[in-house]
Amino acid sequence: MKTICTLLLLLISVSANSQTKISGAVKTAKGDVVKGANLSIKNSYDGGTADSAGVFRFQTSETGKITLLFSSVGFVEDSVALESDGTEIHLSLILKQKVSELNAVVITAGTFEAGDSKKGVVLSSLDVATTAGAEADVFAALQTLPGTQTSFSENGLFVRGGSAAETKTYFDGLQVKNPFGAQLPDLASRGRFSPFLFKGTTFSSGGYSAQYGQALSSALILESKDLAEKTTSGISLMSAGGGLDHTQRFKNSSLSIGGNYINLKPAFTILKQETQWDKEPEQYGSSFQYKLKTSATGIFKLYSEYSRSEVSLFTDNMNRVNTKDYFSNSNKNLYFNTTYQEFIGNKWKVQGGTSYSNNQDNGFISADLYGRSDKLLQARGTITKFMGALSAIRFGAEANSFTRSESFNLLQRHYTDQYSSAFAEADIYFTQKWVARIGLRSEHSSYLDKFNFAPRTSLSYKTGSYSQVSFAYGRFYQNPEDDYLVQTKILDFERADHYILNYQRIANGRVFRAEGFYKEYDGLVKTVGSGFNNSGSGYARGLDIFWRDKKSVKGADYWISYSFLDTKRDFRNYPAAATPPFAARHTLNIVYKKFIEKISSQIGATYTVASGRTYYNPNSSIFLGNKTKDFQNFSVNVSYLTHVLKQFTVVYFSVNNLPGFKNVYGYDYSENGQRRRSIEPPARRNFFLGMFITIGDDAFVR
Amino acid sequence: MKTIKTLLILFLLSPAITMAQTEKYNLAMGKSLEALKSAGNAEQMLSAGNQFERIANAESKLWQPFYYSAYANIVAGIMTAETAKKDELFDKAIKQVETADKLSVENSEIYALLGYAQFMKMSVDPQSRAMTLIPEASASLEKAKLLDPANPRPWLISGQNTFYTPEAFGGGKQKAKSMLETAKANFDTFSPVDQLAPSWGKERCLELLKQCE
Repeated sequence: MKTICTLLLLLISVSANSQTKISGAVKTAKGDVVKGANLSIKNSYDGGTADSAGVFRFQTSETGKITLLFSSVGFVEDSVALESDGTEIHLSLILKQKVSELNAVVITAGTFEAGDSKKGVVLSSLDVATTAGAEADVFAALQTLPGTQTSFSENGLFVRGGSAAETKTYFDGLQVKNPFGAQLPDLASRGRFSPFLFKGTTFSSGGYSAQYGQALSSALILESKDLAEKTTSGISLMSAGGGLDHTQRFKNSSLSIGGNYINLKPAFTILKQETQWDKEPEQYGSSFQYKLKTSATGIFKLYSEYSRSEVSLFTDNMNRVNTKDYFSNSNKNLYFNTTYQEFIGNKWKVQGGTSYSNNQDNGFISADLYGRSDKLLQARGTITKFMGALSAIRFGAEANSFTRSESFNLLQRHYTDQYSSAFAEADIYFTQKWVARIGLRSEHSSYLDKFNFAPRTSLSYKTGSYSQVSFAYGRFYQNPEDDYLVQTKILDFERADHYILNYQRIANGRVFRAEGFYKEYDGLVKTVGSGFNNSGSGYARGLDIFWRDKKSVKGADYWISYSFLDTKRDFRNYPAAATPPFAARHTLNIVYKKFIEKISSQIGATYTVASGRTYYNPNSSIFLGNKTKDFQNFSVNVSYLTHVLKQFTVVYFSVNNLPGFKNVYGYDYSENGQRRRSIEPPARRNFFLGMFITIGDDAFVR
Repeated sequence: MKTIKTLLILFLLSPAITMAQTEKYNLAMGKSLEALKSAGNAEQMLSAGNQFERIANAESKLWQPFYYSAYANIVAGIMTAETAKKDELFDKAIKQVETADKLSVENSEIYALLGYAQFMKMSVDPQSRAMTLIPEASASLEKAKLLDPANPRPWLISGQNTFYTPEAFGGGKQKAKSMLETAKANFDTFSPVDQLAPSWGKERCLELLKQCE
């Protein structure tokens, strides 16, 4: 009986125990108030919440040695051991900010990231698709970013004074040899890939990671989407053709097939063409995608596409009056890419991939038959080890085999290069404010029989909650262009050194970036007599400004980019250093987008102005001493969201160069310099009308 | 003999001790639920979330404290203006829901809340997140409906999400209305299995339905 009494007493005494008062304040090391912090006694329900002044007060019935846990969102949980004996405890607690991707400094020098989930995103994939004037071409949309030139008549991205050959495109880490359609005389083609294939786009205008090589100026890194979420079908009807696609979602995999047919003849019949088409561009294309989730963290991806296109046209022969030159091109392109990635534990990540591409161009230049083919086979592997919250070491290797073959009537030539590389790179976070990236890349070309070593480094410091400064230095190598290599192997790598200083502020829907750069070229290929050597050189320096604001105008989003570029180079067949035609001194882009709910439409407008470019005039004593007049373009688009036969539908209409600004890209001279012809776009204005129907989902999925 | 007696008494008393523990839990949960109901701003919501979190930390085998803490954090996130803070709160809520899911697998209520958190996370930056997070949120909600067709909350959350999605993007009041009506019908027949089972949402459902008219 006595025992029972004791036990009961014990029980009562536990519940009626004297309470210990605990009070205090929670702050950061800097003394800033931490609101809403959670204070709790370990293994008990007792505790409290810090108020808006960071002050807390609560009581606990726990006695003896107790542990007080304190935490708040965005901070590292901490604890303190206390002795609870009824006497009041007063505490000053300090919480440390959690080091996370959200608040840590990032490597930004030279890099524009566009993705769907990542932090510091500047452009999303949807932005690419809805930029007026770009017509959902990734490369055209990127031309509204600072550091890029408006490419007029030549395929490719021209970045900070670099030629098109100095920008390389990577698809899930693997280089894409032919990311564009066939180059026509004085006409640029679209990129081959739909922006909707990718979940992330990283565009680097310089100082990029040691993971990528063979690009003196810029790397465009495209990361493909994971499994499709739903089973859907799509129908596209366009003023330039049509397409069908179907995506089937299985439990752990998804499969997509698609086909399209493009014919520009109807549109070109309506719009008066400067270009004298014999056969307007016509293309058949098909694609196949398969994604398999191999485990919770592993994914296998396969992408392939095949397309054929035909085109022919006439150009004025500058040397003989009233004579026309015939040009035709038939292009076949096969692209195949497969990758696999998996995490081993949560500290290791392995990635591997292979790709194969075969691009063939055939046709006539006047009465001469030409042929050209590029075949690239590559394999790549990368291993990443994560350390601490943010730091990581990455290393990997690549092996490529590339063959270029050319024919001209009965003449033939070709070359094959076995290119291999290895790289290592470390992202080291000293604190969440300081990060350094140190990398080294080494490449070997069997054809050149040469090695190179390219160090890359960048350092970023977070100057405030939303702002940071970065510096980057890097050395970049690439093989001379195929046009030279197919003629000689007695050449070396071309080289560029980048120095970049960047300031960035991202806060509340607004982005401001300013980046100054200096780029030094060496070893550029030059024509010497009937041969070539690496005696060319050059420089590019300038300033890029980017401002984006999604906040100030409700429902609207706009960005302004400005690039100043000062560059000269002595390469190819230049007699002296000169500013190349692909480098405008000033480029300004204003892109505006707004969703108007009343009419269920997104409207967009893009205005571009660029100062004139140099052109070659045989009558001038100064090489590339003349400049065209300034370039201007104003384009608009409307995407109307609706339902057709109860299926989600986007009706898209765009007009390129609405005011019809007359733009001259340059001039073609006759050999004697007596006659000239201006190089202009095929039509002043261009329009595009399309209807995209998605069956099976209430969202636009392609 | 005395020892046996003591042991026997202890044995007899042990249910009482656990009972006391359950009572303490029920009491603390009840108090926290009241705090949750009366919370009118982000600060009070956060405080209620903290109360549940404390219980969750002490009772690491029970899903309800994690569930309610996540719920409070979602609502606190909705009431918060600062986008970075919103993100942190929704991220925390998603983690808590995932913990709840491990403690009580295939639970319709938990998937409903996950869909809610994912949709709100999307709403912080719809332009860049809609493409990935809207399908994820609807997948969670569909699973919740499948696991318990009588549960009104997945229908309410679907309806609410649809209500705030522009018509052009597959949302709109008209479409929301039919979902909310299903939710209402479910609410009318729904009775929580116990005091601590989720029972929120009826008022919100009626209010949204009124706005659909």
